[in-house]
Amino acid sequence: MTQLAENLKAPLVELLLSVADDKLMLGHRNSDWTGLGPILEEDIAFSSLAQDEIAHAQILYELASEFDGRSTDVLAFGRDPTEFRCAEIVELPDDFDWAFALCRQFFCDHYDALRLGRMARSSYAPLAAIAARLAAEEQVHVDHADAWITRLGTGTEDSRTRIQAALDRLAPVAPMLHEPFEGYDELESAGIYPRPETDMFEAWSAALHAVTDAAGLTLTLTAPPASDTGGRRGRHSEHLAPLLDEMCEVFRLEPTAAW
Amino acid sequence: MVTTEAILEVLRTIDDPEMPISIVDLGLIEDVAIDDGNITISVLPTFVGCPALPMIADDITSKVDALAGVGKTKVLFVYDPPWSVDRISGEGRASLKSHGVTVPAPGAVELRTSAIPCPFCGSDRTTLDSMFGPTRCRMIYYCNGCRNTFEHMKKV
Repeated sequence: MTQLAENLKAPLVELLLSVADDKLMLGHRNSDWTGLGPILEEDIAFSSLAQDEIAHAQILYELASEFDGRSTDVLAFGRDPTEFRCAEIVELPDDFDWAFALCRQFFCDHYDALRLGRMARSSYAPLAAIAARLAAEEQVHVDHADAWITRLGTGTEDSRTRIQAALDRLAPVAPMLHEPFEGYDELESAGIYPRPETDMFEAWSAALHAVTDAAGLTLTLTAPPASDTGGRRGRHSEHLAPLLDEMCEVFRLEPTAAW
Repeated sequence: MVTTEAILEVLRTIDDPEMPISIVDLGLIEDVAIDDGNITISVLPTFVGCPALPMIADDITSKVDALAGVGKTKVLFVYDPPWSVDRISGEGRASLKSHGVTVPAPGAVELRTSAIPCPFCGSDRTTLDSMFGPTRCRMIYYCNGCRNTFEHMKKV
């Protein structure tokens, strides 16, 4: 299917913005590590992750732009905070704690892999093609995060303590990645965001536990009550506005400039 | 009247900006369409975030535009089908290997723990050093046999 029913356009934009906004904020946060990674390989890794996340966001904004009407630059840099659809976990500053940055990536990469896998099975062909491409790249992110969680969890007392502290800090926040966006049910029943093969939260939790359990780390994840509303509905933490002020500073100087 | 073969011949002279391989051998060219002298070339990006894409597009348009009988050349980046390392030609693989870049065998299933033979000495005693390398499509390995580092293209 290459044509979309009128009533599914707004929900599709909500899905695309949920994924793209998460990735844009992750990319922005990860770019802080360029030149400051704890070792050269991870300096390159976080710079590459930033490059990937922002590129993924861009291509999803391009697709959203066809239905939303605003340009990709305006979608990325020209919206008010309440119009963003990212989850709280990507808004938090990492305060240059690399264990925190890595654990955040661990939670988000596994969630993105599941989301993109669903999108790759979409009945809407343009979405399926892009998602298939992004899912293949996301697997590298997942492998990277898993390898480091394992290495640090089974490393020294210091590395284990630090990675456990970061997991403990993020585990209560991470489940809100799963908050449904507006129009989720319509998009799911139409097969645009096809029903997952197994429950998303359970699949996500199992994938994370497979890594943390083997590394001797503890992880407690609780599915958020359906009544909780957060970033997917435009309710954000106090960290988003300052992040946008910094990220959009240049764009706001001259919004119509060509880049 | 310009032919598809003449255009492909020009495309074979364009190397990837970051690797010693032509964009045809790299498997980037999906389609060449000729419409009344105007050319549309569909190109598959290796990685979505590859910063070399605008350079590749510029190289293609300037070289194809210079062909006799060509009106306007347009480059379209498309994602269907997705690019895969399986699209790299035998000649391309040989050229990359001689420069210390290995490519997963067509159809190969590779895990993080898979042994990647060293392109310099052939040893299997190699270890993954970094999942991210100089470009989005390559990883860095270290050979414990000849103590060289080499690059391996990601299995996507």
